[in-house]
Amino acid sequence: MTSCGSDIPEKSESFMFPQDKVVPVGSNMTFCCIVKEKDDFKEMMYGRQEMSATRLSRRTYAITVTNQPASGNTGTNVICCSQRLTLTGAVVFVGYPPGDEGLVCETRDLASAECSWKKGRDTRLRMKRSRTKYTLNGRDCLEANERKTWWCSSKVWEESWTLVARNPLGTVQLTDSAQLTDRVHLLAPVNVTAVEVEAWSATLQWSWSVASYKKLEMVCQLQLFAHELSSTRNYSGPGLSSVVLESLRPDVDYTVTLRCGSKHSFWKWGNESAPFRIHTKMDRPDALDVWMWMDSSNTGRVFWKPLSVRKSHGALVGYEVSQSSAEEDGRTPVSLPPGNFSYPIILNNSSDITVAVAARNPAGLSHVTLHALSVISFPVDSQLSVSELLGTNGSFVLSWQPNVNASSGYAVEWVPTGCSGLCPVDWKKVPESDCSFTVNSDSLVAGVRYTVSVYSLSTGALTLLQRWQGYSQEMIPSQSVSKLSPIQTGSDVLLSWKATAMEHQRGFIRGYTVYLANAAHLDLIANISDPEVQSYRVKGLSPSFYKFVVKAYTSAGEDAGSTVDIKIEMDTADMLFVGILVPLGIMFCCLILISICCYKKREWVKKAFYPEIPGPKVPGDWSSPQGPLDVKPSPHSLVHIVENPERDFTKEGLFLVPEEEEESENDNIEVDTDSDEPALLRYYNQVVGDGSHSNQVSDSSGSSTASVGSTQTEITYAGIQSPTSSQGACGGGGYRPQMQSVAGPAEPQIEFEADFQDDGLNTGYKPQCSWQLDSPEAENFSGSLGSPTSVTSSQFLIPESSEEKPQPSNTWFHNFLSGKS
Amino acid sequence: MEGAADSDTPVTERPAADRAAALARLLHRDCTRLLELYKERESFLSQHAPGGERLVTLALCPEALSTGEQVGHVRSALRRCMGLLECLIVREVEEMGEELEGEYESLRKTVRDRLGHLLHSTGALLEEGEGGCPPSPPLQCTEGQDEVEASGSFAAKIWTYRVLLELIHWTDSASQTLHLFHSEQHGQQQQQQQLL
Repeated sequence: MTSCGSDIPEKSESFMFPQDKVVPVGSNMTFCCIVKEKDDFKEMMYGRQEMSATRLSRRTYAITVTNQPASGNTGTNVICCSQRLTLTGAVVFVGYPPGDEGLVCETRDLASAECSWKKGRDTRLRMKRSRTKYTLNGRDCLEANERKTWWCSSKVWEESWTLVARNPLGTVQLTDSAQLTDRVHLLAPVNVTAVEVEAWSATLQWSWSVASYKKLEMVCQLQLFAHELSSTRNYSGPGLSSVVLESLRPDVDYTVTLRCGSKHSFWKWGNESAPFRIHTKMDRPDALDVWMWMDSSNTGRVFWKPLSVRKSHGALVGYEVSQSSAEEDGRTPVSLPPGNFSYPIILNNSSDITVAVAARNPAGLSHVTLHALSVISFPVDSQLSVSELLGTNGSFVLSWQPNVNASSGYAVEWVPTGCSGLCPVDWKKVPESDCSFTVNSDSLVAGVRYTVSVYSLSTGALTLLQRWQGYSQEMIPSQSVSKLSPIQTGSDVLLSWKATAMEHQRGFIRGYTVYLANAAHLDLIANISDPEVQSYRVKGLSPSFYKFVVKAYTSAGEDAGSTVDIKIEMDTADMLFVGILVPLGIMFCCLILISICCYKKREWVKKAFYPEIPGPKVPGDWSSPQGPLDVKPSPHSLVHIVENPERDFTKEGLFLVPEEEEESENDNIEVDTDSDEPALLRYYNQVVGDGSHSNQVSDSSGSSTASVGSTQTEITYAGIQSPTSSQGACGGGGYRPQMQSVAGPAEPQIEFEADFQDDGLNTGYKPQCSWQLDSPEAENFSGSLGSPTSVTSSQFLIPESSEEKPQPSNTWFHNFLSGKS
Repeated sequence: MEGAADSDTPVTERPAADRAAALARLLHRDCTRLLELYKERESFLSQHAPGGERLVTLALCPEALSTGEQVGHVRSALRRCMGLLECLIVREVEEMGEELEGEYESLRKTVRDRLGHLLHSTGALLEEGEGGCPPSPPLQCTEGQDEVEASGSFAAKIWTYRVLLELIHWTDSASQTLHLFHSEQHGQQQQQQQLL
């Protein structure tokens, strides 16, 4: 476009060209700015974009914009400005031509037409003068032009329609054609109301705002909403304006909506009516599900399950229970408030009773549910064996053999075992065709033992078919064994306990485990797999403190366990035995060790305690202790008899003792009786000792009553025995130098003075000491025996150390002292 | 009212001048916000402000010697602004229709309503009219647009900008004048109470 002649002095003000142009998106435009006289031009801007201006004349500048984008609601501003101010400007509107599409015409009133279409792409032209204008079949579409809606009405159905949409940037034409009956779009029913509302049905009525609907064959769709459930029902008819709603539920709040359409050449559903509420009336409740449970032979309870809202047909106001028997007339019904679901039953010597339970609501009493009970056929203490029942995923899966008498089906009952009084009895009646049932875990509690029974139902009779006891899910016992007590028997401990009460078992007890508690853990010492066993003997316990733990276990595991502790102590006899014999044994061990040491060091002991007395050098063998020792008296033994008429017998002196006849061990020794030699003196050795004690030394075993340490040994040296018999006539045996002799002519008169004592033994010369081995004198025996000044022995007192000959037992000590083994 | 929030005293117990001053302050904030919204839509106004003379002046009013007279003068100007605002709204609705309901359109309506309340409030304060200003002739909505060095939509935008500037100026002036007026009245009342 060219605007001529504006850059002239008469038009001194600033101005811009073009103004308020409407161009399509992507266009190219040139804007001219004529600056006011004496104003400084700085720049031109297109929207927010600074443009490079071309000077066309003294005060005319121009910019060219290419590929113009769509403008905003108020258009795109093009300004021409100086350093500080906006001198002038223009607005350009950049948009799109109309993009409307999809023209569809229909009738709402079976006469006029309403044509609607889709808007399509936004033209981006907000100014009123730039908006899209519509005409339908050549007539302005006021609805679309004024209200910016996309439909257009026509009072007459023309069967062919043409919509023209136009804006400054373009035009679009839409067409549609159809028969009126093919484009029926009904309005919403009005004045919807319910008449004749009953418990199970209701009649719905409405009207139409278009009179011509009455002749139209229509189909109506009804939506019922109740308790978050919805259902759809269709009805049809010419000018449909009422329907009967069947199969409703009593005392239910329904919300109803309705819409209709043309039945022939159905085009679309009409508008939906406003929601309408219907509340059905109440009705008598459904019959109750009743069950009876006997907890003794003549007492029980009748149970019934609460009715659902659906079956109540109205809020219940209570229950009525009545009981009758063959012997008695029917009793007065007992009314119970709602919330009661059981009632006690007492049998008074009746074998057959009938219990009737009914529910009541404001509409009336439900059908009576009769529960016939035959005590004979329904014994409380049934002899039927009870099987163990194991749960499956918390449920009981049951099956039983069909019973021909189950004309009314079967009933499965489950109740906690051992419950009495108001028990949570539950049951389910199954039809006769079913021989299995699963008791869901919802009605079972883990760890509770249930008694599950199956009955066959027939008219007026129940028959127990099968019974189980089991746990839906076994758990570890909540309490362990009780009365756990230990009894000590010697080194054994007998543990005994009482089984856990059934209500605390929470599972079938499979056995018991016995532990020995240490500082940090438990040591298993026994696993008793027989639950009937309630004792265990722990053997071979040494004296100490013990703590035992006994746990009962089910299939779920062990319980916490019961603990008992005991201190094992030795018996009194054992204590005495240990207290006495042990020290005694130690003592004897010490003695043995000392003996061994002494034996090993006997030479030293001998030298230290009993030094060897040098023996006389004599020819021959002097070692034989048995034979008498014939000793020829030395001449010094002869005694000159001095006649002395008076002898002072108070003086001690030697005198010749006549020889006596006596027995001796050495009778076979030849005695020289004819020799002139002085008579040989026969010495024999006789040891006298208490041989009964000689073998009880160092016996440290066995009897605790033996007395030890009382051995005595006496050694008496025999006197010198004269071999001649004449000497025996003196009434004494052998040589008795201290006896007053009655001398014969051949008999030498010997008189000795010696300190001699006759101890009554007519056995010859006796040395004058008599000593005992363990007497105090024995400690000094080396002085009495070994001293050459006090003892005169007929044999060697100290044997030669080189001789190692076995000694008889009665000389062991002698040998010990002599250093011989 | 937003002005009532400035004081803990309930609005009904506050003096009329004080309430009018508070309303003027609130309206001033609204007018400022309205211009901000308009500048967001017509961004060139923020970069290069257009020049031009004032649309509302008090050239025909005598000099205001007292505060009361000043209040009258301000009220006269606000009445002029009201006329301009109504022309603005009519034009914009004519051009754009009523479909646009953004923040600008909503605040524009609020400003008109509060301006009307302010005119009523200040009118109740004046005993002798509007300070001697002659009554203004009926406003022609096209009046003033000829002064814009443009035509068509661009000229209308410049004119709208000027109207919004006038509203900001005169609501601010009203706020200050009414506050001073209230202070004088309050002081006079205290003096009278002391004398009694």
